Amino acid sequence: MTKKLLFASLTFFLFQFSFSQKNIDPTTEDIALAKNLREKYKKSDIAILSSSENITFGLNAKEEKVTVTQNIRENLMNVTHRADIQKFEFYDSESEIEAFQMKFRNDKKAVFMVNDEFYKSDDLFYNDARVKYMNIDFPVQGYSYFYELTKKYKDAKYFTTIYFNDEYPVLKKEITITVPKWLELEIKEFNFSGFEIKKEIKKDPKSEDTVYTFTVENVEPGANEKLSPGPSHIYPHILLIAKSYTKKDVKTTLFSSTADLYKWYKSLVNMMKEDPAALKDKVKELTEKAKTDEEKIKNIYYWVQDNIRYIAFEDGIAGFKPDESQNVFQKRYGDCKGMANLTKQMLKQAGFDARLTWIGTKRIAYDYTVPSLSVDNHMICTLFHNGKKYFLDGTEKFNSFGEYAERIQGKEVLIEDGDNFIIEKIPTSNALANTETFTAKLRIENESITGKTSNSFSGESRSGFLYSYNNIKNNNKEEALHNYLTDNDKNLTISSVTTSDLTNRDKKLSIEYDIKIDNKVSRFDNDIYIDLDFKKEFDYLLFKERKNDFEFSHKENYESLLTLEIPTGYKVTKLPESVSIQKPDYNISISYELVGNEIRYKKNFEFKNGLVKASDFKEWNAFIEKMNKIYNEQITLTKS
Amino acid sequence: MKPSILKVALLLFSGTVFAQDKAEIKEFFWGNNDTYKNTIDIPAKWKNESAVIIYKNEDYDFHKFGKSVTYRSAIRERIKLQDQAAVTEFSEFTYSEKSNPRYGTVVKTVIGIKVLKPDGKEIEINVDKEAVTVDNHKKIAIPNLEIGDVIDTYEYSTESFQSTYDYGFDEVEKTLGGKHPIMNYKLTFQTENDFFVNFNTYNGGPELKEIPLEKRGERKYELTASDLEKNDFPVWFYPLVELPCYKFQVFFARSGKFEKMADAFLPEKEEIVKKTVSKEDVLNYYMNKFRPYGDLGDIERFLKGKTFATNEEKVRAVYYFTRHYYYTMYLEAFVAKESEIMYPFYLYGANPIFFRSDIAFIDHFMAFLKDNKIEYDIIVGTNRHNGPIKDLLIQENATAILRVNTENPIYIDYFSPFSDLDKFSAQLENTDAYALKVTKLKKVVDVENVKLPSSTYKDNTSKQVTNVKINADFNALQLNRETALNGHNKDEEQSDKLYFFDYVNEDYTKYETKSLLDRVKNKKDKEKYTKEFEALINKLKDKRKEELTKETGNEYGVEIEDHSLEIKNTGRFGKTTPFIYKEDFTIKNNLIKKAGENYIFEIGKLIGSQFEVNKKEKNRTNNIYFAFPRSFDDEIILEIPEGYTVTGIEKLNKTVENETGGFTSKAVIEGNKLKIKTFKYYTNYFEPNKNWPKLVDFLDAAYQFNQEKILLKKN
Repeated sequence: MTKKLLFASLTFFLFQFSFSQKNIDPTTEDIALAKNLREKYKKSDIAILSSSENITFGLNAKEEKVTVTQNIRENLMNVTHRADIQKFEFYDSESEIEAFQMKFRNDKKAVFMVNDEFYKSDDLFYNDARVKYMNIDFPVQGYSYFYELTKKYKDAKYFTTIYFNDEYPVLKKEITITVPKWLELEIKEFNFSGFEIKKEIKKDPKSEDTVYTFTVENVEPGANEKLSPGPSHIYPHILLIAKSYTKKDVKTTLFSSTADLYKWYKSLVNMMKEDPAALKDKVKELTEKAKTDEEKIKNIYYWVQDNIRYIAFEDGIAGFKPDESQNVFQKRYGDCKGMANLTKQMLKQAGFDARLTWIGTKRIAYDYTVPSLSVDNHMICTLFHNGKKYFLDGTEKFNSFGEYAERIQGKEVLIEDGDNFIIEKIPTSNALANTETFTAKLRIENESITGKTSNSFSGESRSGFLYSYNNIKNNNKEEALHNYLTDNDKNLTISSVTTSDLTNRDKKLSIEYDIKIDNKVSRFDNDIYIDLDFKKEFDYLLFKERKNDFEFSHKENYESLLTLEIPTGYKVTKLPESVSIQKPDYNISISYELVGNEIRYKKNFEFKNGLVKASDFKEWNAFIEKMNKIYNEQITLTKS
Repeated sequence: MKPSILKVALLLFSGTVFAQDKAEIKEFFWGNNDTYKNTIDIPAKWKNESAVIIYKNEDYDFHKFGKSVTYRSAIRERIKLQDQAAVTEFSEFTYSEKSNPRYGTVVKTVIGIKVLKPDGKEIEINVDKEAVTVDNHKKIAIPNLEIGDVIDTYEYSTESFQSTYDYGFDEVEKTLGGKHPIMNYKLTFQTENDFFVNFNTYNGGPELKEIPLEKRGERKYELTASDLEKNDFPVWFYPLVELPCYKFQVFFARSGKFEKMADAFLPEKEEIVKKTVSKEDVLNYYMNKFRPYGDLGDIERFLKGKTFATNEEKVRAVYYFTRHYYYTMYLEAFVAKESEIMYPFYLYGANPIFFRSDIAFIDHFMAFLKDNKIEYDIIVGTNRHNGPIKDLLIQENATAILRVNTENPIYIDYFSPFSDLDKFSAQLENTDAYALKVTKLKKVVDVENVKLPSSTYKDNTSKQVTNVKINADFNALQLNRETALNGHNKDEEQSDKLYFFDYVNEDYTKYETKSLLDRVKNKKDKEKYTKEFEALINKLKDKRKEELTKETGNEYGVEIEDHSLEIKNTGRFGKTTPFIYKEDFTIKNNLIKKAGENYIFEIGKLIGSQFEVNKKEKNRTNNIYFAFPRSFDDEIILEIPEGYTVTGIEKLNKTVENETGGFTSKAVIEGNKLKIKTFKYYTNYFEPNKNWPKLVDFLDAAYQFNQEKILLKKN
């Protein structure tokens, strides 16, 4: 930050009269507290000493909407030497920020520039969310500020959850929800276990408001870790559902049940102006030569996968209402809703029964017993065919018909059915469906290991491979495949590469090639030492500081078999030991075996549920460390 | 500019396309005169390319009206998309309809996009309808774009600003070829009087042609090329030195007075396109640029009472003094200001000297030299990556340094906190340059060709001694290494590892000046700022520790732990002061492999990762351009664990040397120590492609050393 300095901005002749502030520097107690906190939270620069969040409701009778006011006050303290942070808050067309400011310890206003920008995300081409932020500096340890936010939601259905944790540790948090008499509000509690969250319900005798107060102390900071379960699975929070309000004895239902949620979704769908004629020619082209129904379906589904680019516009209601199929078709791009609807309309055009389907992906912990907008985040298409339901997700690239991506497997779906709806679950598959294999028949030639190898991929390992491969520039594909197969290791030379059709998403994918491996054979005196394992799969997967479960992108089953021919005149004097572990979530076995004049080195990794639980980390790490030791062990051959 | 005036301006410049009207802009690119209107096919040789540019057209226009200057750039690309990667690459655009890059300057941009289907069907995108606004720019996702389509886009920008004085437009230096092959390329530009053009092509690029125009004072130029293969940009490569390229710059100067002031080698007249800059041009330009100027009071006070055996000694002393007095003395102030600890500048007196440009620095240093009657010249050179000085075209590419004609000439660069007098920019070393002769210590009067000195791999050195201990369980290595860098090998490492707090104090002591905090008189303020400054430094130290742990690990290609750093010498005072630092760290669960009761130790890895010449690079066709000759001297001292013997050290002895450089290594066992010495060096700044195999020979030898292992055999 301050290492390299420019001269240009220098303004020498200006004097600045600084107004010294009283009582803003930390007291001795503050510093002692900060030091203590840093000891406890070694990775956090800031601690939230206290946070109080107040939720109140209002009524916009004209628009039949319940409004929400959220007021947050926090006392933030720097616990490290110095901290420079960004304090930020999002808002969009359904919300506005009324107050967003910092105060010094002495309660005088601290002026920081408030920036206001569009919120940019790689996943969304455009969205109407904006972010206000301030860059805050805490010059010394123990320095603190008060933060205040007031934010208004125009419609309670967009105000869904309140989390007890933060990116910083929270020493004390209080959430107060004042529910007026006219409002029927349900508060659902999630992930409370393991936390001492106290709840108090009081009725104000005068206003007849019900006041819910939740308090908790010492909440660890949320860990921003890749491949983690979604926050709704792991962090303590409450979900608010404004079910109805009563005004002048007339009850207006909001989201009281799943049927209400569906009704609202369906009302948006009914607003769409479909023009299926626009799809007619394309559907004809895709289906006329198809011999079976399945072929027709595949042609349509794969065409959508391959030809519609995922581009999301989340602009107000467009975040919930699908774009018309003719638009998506014409533009050749759309978001999940647009792709789901196009798939539906094309299938309908081809004479099939296809329906829009709402779903919360694996990231979301809720199911459709919760009538809330936070229950789903994705849309797919359900095909009803020969008494069976098939779920088609156009955003999944190189997904084979009948296979389901990990992120939707086992999740509840809400399928349209006229004025009614159907709730189903997407079938799950096991890790074997995604099997990846690697086999090599190897021998020692001078100082190198040579041989023939073959790889195969199925299920999600296949679709993942095909997606990456087909997104590489044509003129770089050969080099990229070479680099992938050699793992960019100069010691690996490969040749005679043959592959199955690298555009086919239904058949097993296979790659075969010859290999030469250098610098893995060492000869000392009468011995040959062989570092046979040149791939060392999963060796990096140690969870030393990780807090959350580790989720693979899909359930994995990896099988490797290396066979090494023992050179004539040598015998095996030392083989590394074999190890294995069997747990509910994973089975791993690594074994060396001497069969005739061959060493068979077998590795199996099966992640049955596609995850390693944080509660297993200790045992897991011990195993991986043991495994890495074996990975590092050499085979010893001695002249016989 | 008021709208009414703009209209008049448009009428006046009827010969050029100034029209703001979108229809006219469209006509300009895609109108009846578009010869590529129907081209959608590409040559068979490029059918496996991701994308092929059918036509690329860049058109620039420079005009003035009254006090206003208008610059218009129009760029069109017609591209065949042949795979998913190409569709993704060209499917989204971002642009600004209106922006204000500088005060008083408005840039307006109009874009056009159309998609052509393989059957010839043309779909024009309604940009206004499709684009969304995000902050101050617009984004558009191209609808209906598929593999096999041709996308045809243009971006038409006009930049208007008021200019009474001279103004230089940004220089353009580009290779003709880019990352996709190009079938047809055309560059055109129009200017009028008061716009001066420097333009030339290099390395076999096509010549610029003048297109005759009827109107007086108006000029148009054109460059065309076709069948351009895509370029590869490998390591150790200076594209502008080798690939067909063009360079140009347009300068606006209203009158002779401003022509003189302009920071450019202007052509004699507007109707001449300047293609080369002679040494006389350089002389003319610099003749009045530099003059000995500056308040020498500080230097005089510094010199008072000091005696020097030679002028060389004196120049050295004064250079380092000025580096502190006009630069490093203020570093803490900048830090304090930037981190909002305090507003510090009033603490430095009413009239502090601080250099804002190399000219101010050179002027001031010249004043000192003149005052002390020490002979000097001004050297003008150009960085090697720009090509030779004879091809100099753009003033920004010229670098001026001072050569003090002492017993051993001293070359003086504008300073950085680490600049030292035994070296100057490696980019200028060993290049041809011009020496502007200064007579009577005052005025530039003559110019001559000179070759600037080179440095050798013996000057640019890195010496590293690493002591290694294996722990009792054979699962961790304790490394303790001392690194001493000299010459240009210091450059990057100093700016990477040293923070201001590592070196300002040595300057305060040496020159008896006060630190920022010592200047603060108010006791309470001082206490407060001191705490805040300490907090900042501690934070930076934490950050450095984290960064160095990662960087040092990357050097070996493994993870390291418990890194500590000690700076032994900041190396800021010339050849005699190498930059020396010591580090301690641990490598766990790596490099040692169990083999029965013995251990295989990948000891070669301890010289750090080596450059890997991969399959593709082996067939390199370009010449090789290094920043400077350099050498790396490593010594590894391994304490052999008790009860073990080392075998296999013969593989650690390697010698590959040729005229391009070399790699040698030698291992010996002395008592309970295995001592390995390696030496890798690169002899030259440049190697022709025919020498690539020789380079590969020693690069591969070093890589192979890095792969070597020894056996720790149980006794």
